[in-house]
Amino acid sequence: MVPPDDFPGAVEAGVEDYVHRQLAGDCSREAGALTSGLRQLDAEAAARHSVNFDALSPANQDTLLRDLEAGLVSPTWPAEISPLTFFARMVELAHEGYYADPANGGNRDGSSWRMIGYDPRLPPPPLPTEAIPAPPSSRSP
Amino acid sequence: MTEYDVIIVGAGLGGGIAAGILSEAGLRVLLLERGAALRFEDIPTDHLRNHRLSLYGDNTTLDPAAHPRVFVDASGREQVVHPHEGGYNLNAFTVGGGSRIWGMQAWRFHPDDFRMASRYGTPPGSSLADWPIRFEDLAPCYERAEQEIGVAGDHSGDDHAPRRQPFPLPPVSPTPTGDWLARGAKNLGWKTFTPPLAVNTRPYQGRAACVQCGQCIGFACPTDAKNGSHNTLLPRALSTGRCTLVTRAHAARITTGTDGRVEGVEYFAPRSSDPTNPRAEASYEHRTARARVVIVASGAIETARLLLLSKSSSHPDGLGNHSGHLGRHVQGHYYPVAYGLLPRGVENPNLGPGVSIATTRFNHGNPGVIGGAMLANDFVKLPVIFWRSSLPPDVPRWGLENKRAMRDLYLRGIDIRGPVQEIPSPDSRVTLDPRMKDRFGLSVARLSGTTHPETLRTAEFMRQRAEEWLRASGAERVWSWPAERKFSAGQHQAGTCRMSADPRDGVTDAWGRVHGHDNLFVCDGSLHVTNGGFNPALTIMALAFRTAEYIAGKVSSNR
Repeated sequence: MVPPDDFPGAVEAGVEDYVHRQLAGDCSREAGALTSGLRQLDAEAAARHSVNFDALSPANQDTLLRDLEAGLVSPTWPAEISPLTFFARMVELAHEGYYADPANGGNRDGSSWRMIGYDPRLPPPPLPTEAIPAPPSSRSP
Repeated sequence: MTEYDVIIVGAGLGGGIAAGILSEAGLRVLLLERGAALRFEDIPTDHLRNHRLSLYGDNTTLDPAAHPRVFVDASGREQVVHPHEGGYNLNAFTVGGGSRIWGMQAWRFHPDDFRMASRYGTPPGSSLADWPIRFEDLAPCYERAEQEIGVAGDHSGDDHAPRRQPFPLPPVSPTPTGDWLARGAKNLGWKTFTPPLAVNTRPYQGRAACVQCGQCIGFACPTDAKNGSHNTLLPRALSTGRCTLVTRAHAARITTGTDGRVEGVEYFAPRSSDPTNPRAEASYEHRTARARVVIVASGAIETARLLLLSKSSSHPDGLGNHSGHLGRHVQGHYYPVAYGLLPRGVENPNLGPGVSIATTRFNHGNPGVIGGAMLANDFVKLPVIFWRSSLPPDVPRWGLENKRAMRDLYLRGIDIRGPVQEIPSPDSRVTLDPRMKDRFGLSVARLSGTTHPETLRTAEFMRQRAEEWLRASGAERVWSWPAERKFSAGQHQAGTCRMSADPRDGVTDAWGRVHGHDNLFVCDGSLHVTNGGFNPALTIMALAFRTAEYIAGKVSSNR
């Protein structure tokens, strides 16, 4: 989804951690369908090249993903999620993880932000604040 | 049962301002707020869960599962929605309301925004009407809001509405992209200026200046330079000792006597609270408070809901609903956006707040359409938002080409957008859902309908102007998408308790008093008859100053 070049790819940046965290949390309702999709992706790879998706060459991975994006998959694709929906959702999850804040788990060390030139530039953590500040007249000098 | 002079439901911009004015006028105020008083560190800086991008949650809602709404989309499909979901039309539920996390654009409406029907006529099927007040009636309150909340602006350039006093704070700094857009506008003969923002461009009222961080809109401010009610009028209210703020308080109904006079508010509030952990689980108790005046300031959706929930045998359709206007005419803003790529050599500085140039040339007088919009550049943009919405349409959505486009284009992306003055429809409305209840057993808001089709024509006209501006500035590429008809409320929600001189035409009078209920007022965007071609917050504030001063005069003299 996000291959390595001069900058880390999705795997090195921790996108898998992000996706696992989402499937166990906010996306738990989708988890079953997305997991079947991932299993089917391996099945597609095995049918074509007798190995799991992970073991395919980058070129063969790309071809398979392009076919998936175009809906060109075997008729045994699970009914609970269409190949197009599965693919679109995986694209979203991967990029959300890769470009969101590092605390979400998929943008380790802010590597994607360095790549594009973004910096949140938050000042150092403020001193403990009050939720409702005192008005200036009653504030000590 | 405790007795107050005034109970205010909602501590957002309208309610917070009213609390300040009324407490300082010597009145005892009970301020009920559904959310919590959150410190900076209580509002997460999560790029996927905030008020600019709320994919999986937001950063202020305390109990996301507890307060659903029902949303009916344009095709009639009904769904239960939670705060972070689009159909919910959330404005932040917290002390300070939307002003805790807003983009701070603090615009005066144009004088003609108060007389839309007179200027353009009322198109068939719409409920376009004039306000019962004119710009001149609100002008002193606009000025007061600018001074007391703190607005940074360019008084020499910003002349769409008359002004007597300069802004209290100097405008935000120019940006390279703003300069580039200024040259483009000049080529077209369009006047531009630095837009007014409620941000401390220098230290003001005892708080620090903005440090131009990179995650502004949708988040709390790390230096407390983002001005709202929570750091201005509300602390002033509390420092009088006469304002009692109860957070996580959910109003259930306003009680009325047979003569229509309001007696008080029934609400649910936590039995106890832990100020060090505003998100702690709470167990709630039912309470009743009495007051001489009640102000509802819960935002256009929840204000309408509370007035509907407050029905009684003498007011079977809710308070102020004698002529059927309550909850109707919902408006927000359609936002046409034109995207482009800056030419090489011009770079987006990626500094907050980000909005640095605007034009009000197209707010009125556009051929063949009703009203118009202010146009401005956008706020500093989160990378994940850029990935979702701002890449050129022919860039593949994944793979190396997508990654290279992100790397090469993030600092070259530019967009122009503007809030289109909507042409209201009576069918765009808030009602009570007949089935769904919240955790207190109270019917939830049901949102349905769409804006009038004239809004789409104005939005299309503005989209063309936004593209024109980018092209004239020398953008390498320009693209955009036409708007579709939809329910529109969102953070700019308005119109559900519109003001009217004649009780048959609206819900409240020109002071925000609910027709037929002498001591019941509304103090938020619900009052807006039309919502301007501008961000509506400063108008909400100005009306709050005006209504609160009116109430202070009445109640104090009746003692």
